[in-house]
Amino acid sequence: MVDTIYAEDEIIGTKKAQEIISKFRHAKVISIKRFGEVFNPSNQNFRIQKINPALILARKQKGFVLNAPEGFGIRDQDNYYFSHMYNCLYDCSYCFLQGMYNSANYLVFVNFDDYKNEIEKIIGKDKEKEMTFFTGYDCDSLAMEPITNFLSDFIPFFRRYKNALFEIRTKSINNTVFRKHDALTNCIVAYSLMPETLAQTLDKKAPSVSARIKNIKYIANKGWRIGLRFDPLIYCNNWKAQYSELFANIFKEIKEESIHSVSLGSLRFPKSFFNKLLQYYPNSEEFSFLRSNDKGIISYDQSIENEMNEYCRLELMKYSDARKFFSCG
Amino acid sequence: MTNQNFEGMSVRWVIALKAEAEEIIKNYALERVATKPFQVYKNRDIDIWLVLSGIGQINAVAATTYLYVKSDASDNTIWMNLGIVGSRNFKVGELVQIDKITSNDFPDNHYPSPATFKNNNVERSNLITVNKPEALFENDGVYDMEGYAFFSFAKKIASYELVSVLKIISDIPGTDISKIDKIAVERLVLKKMPLIEKVLENLLSLQEILLLQQRNPNYFDEICQQRKFSFSQKVTLKKYLTQWQSRFPMRNPLSEIEKKMTTSQILKRFSDNLLR
Repeated sequence: MVDTIYAEDEIIGTKKAQEIISKFRHAKVISIKRFGEVFNPSNQNFRIQKINPALILARKQKGFVLNAPEGFGIRDQDNYYFSHMYNCLYDCSYCFLQGMYNSANYLVFVNFDDYKNEIEKIIGKDKEKEMTFFTGYDCDSLAMEPITNFLSDFIPFFRRYKNALFEIRTKSINNTVFRKHDALTNCIVAYSLMPETLAQTLDKKAPSVSARIKNIKYIANKGWRIGLRFDPLIYCNNWKAQYSELFANIFKEIKEESIHSVSLGSLRFPKSFFNKLLQYYPNSEEFSFLRSNDKGIISYDQSIENEMNEYCRLELMKYSDARKFFSCG
Repeated sequence: MTNQNFEGMSVRWVIALKAEAEEIIKNYALERVATKPFQVYKNRDIDIWLVLSGIGQINAVAATTYLYVKSDASDNTIWMNLGIVGSRNFKVGELVQIDKITSNDFPDNHYPSPATFKNNNVERSNLITVNKPEALFENDGVYDMEGYAFFSFAKKIASYELVSVLKIISDIPGTDISKIDKIAVERLVLKKMPLIEKVLENLLSLQEILLLQQRNPNYFDEICQQRKFSFSQKVTLKKYLTQWQSRFPMRNPLSEIEKKMTTSQILKRFSDNLLR
């Protein structure tokens, strides 16, 4: 899978770095001073790098935990996100990472303890306050779990802080970690989902939607709380029928009481990201409905967004309590 | 000779000495087209050029710059540096593709893209560029006198993934350098031509992907010839035509344009249609 590993001199000898390196016996390890030497050069092409991504092991220096962008959290509580990794094993056409980074190489920050310290500081400020910590914005943590053991490390950590909700956003069907650990009441395993035919075109390298649903069922039966994330909602011909079928398929398998929350989000990008995506996927019909608004954001026409949100909400209300719904973006 | 000819294919070789370049010149049927300030060779039909830079980092940058201008190379041109090197941990005759480039003169290191290593089974090595011929080889890796400067400049004028450095080991500790003559060098390169070709084939496949990404949508050039669009209008037009061809593959966008329409009206017409 990975034939080149770049490792910062500062961390190459650490236990975590060595643990990861040992999983790639045939990879060449190249020492670097700072990850930016490999990750940041301009003139790199994300799509070409995606053909043969390298792994970069580095130390995160600052900014371990960040406030979640406005509109991307759960309700009114304090929402934070943290990224121990940039870039993803999957290759979803609409993924903002390919617009955000020059490099498709997998960048893993191995100093997990620094993240934990920062999270503890935030929790310590008000131990009674409910807050959410999201992971999976800049990578799919669960998909990379066999390499990083990130969740094996952070699930026991969050078990100590019941007022802190830990959301793992994923498309992965790897369930080893959920078998190894007892279900954590303050953890949400949040699955990104879209109609199967759309996913076949757009969610490249990701498990099929039916496999994801099967895995959700398995995890839910183990007692884990589930998040359903229909974000982004994708507009296409026949979208109503496709989303109705998706919701029916999910709730045929998953008991409503396993569901922690359901979120709906629109497809939107900053203009510069979108121009790159169009270059990468000139034949994408799904992107042909997107427009620039007066704030420089590319999205569907407001009427389309409203119609999709409204329709999906009503459909989902057939199966789930509307109090569990929230919007993203 | 590569059989991967396609529209936009473009390759530049930067090689220090004639002996190192001889087999490349023969293999790609290159003919000399300039002698000063650097000897330059090119293929008559395909966009493949070669410059003989001479030894050293200043020569390498100067020759690369010269070839860049003279051959009108684009951002999507492949740049290859090939040459003989010394090493303590490789055998004479081995070909290596460089994955890390350092120089004692500069703090920054360079890391050629892993995309260029995919599926070619060529050994990889770090490269240490020095200013005087090296005999001691204190570190593992290969030693040359041009690679660092070549890569530093080439990555600025081309896509990062299209710049590659290849080296063939000619000397190891104890080698009598006086015995490395022109014929010996030509033989070293000749033996490795199949692997060199393989590296180039991989780079050509990356180049093809890049060219496809940057291709203008259908009818873009025709419409731009009909009306004078501003730069930002051209960006918008390109976006609309890209969306148009995926949404309305059977509809010709030219038929939407009426005689007296201004550029803004044309863009609005496309936008309105795409909104439906």
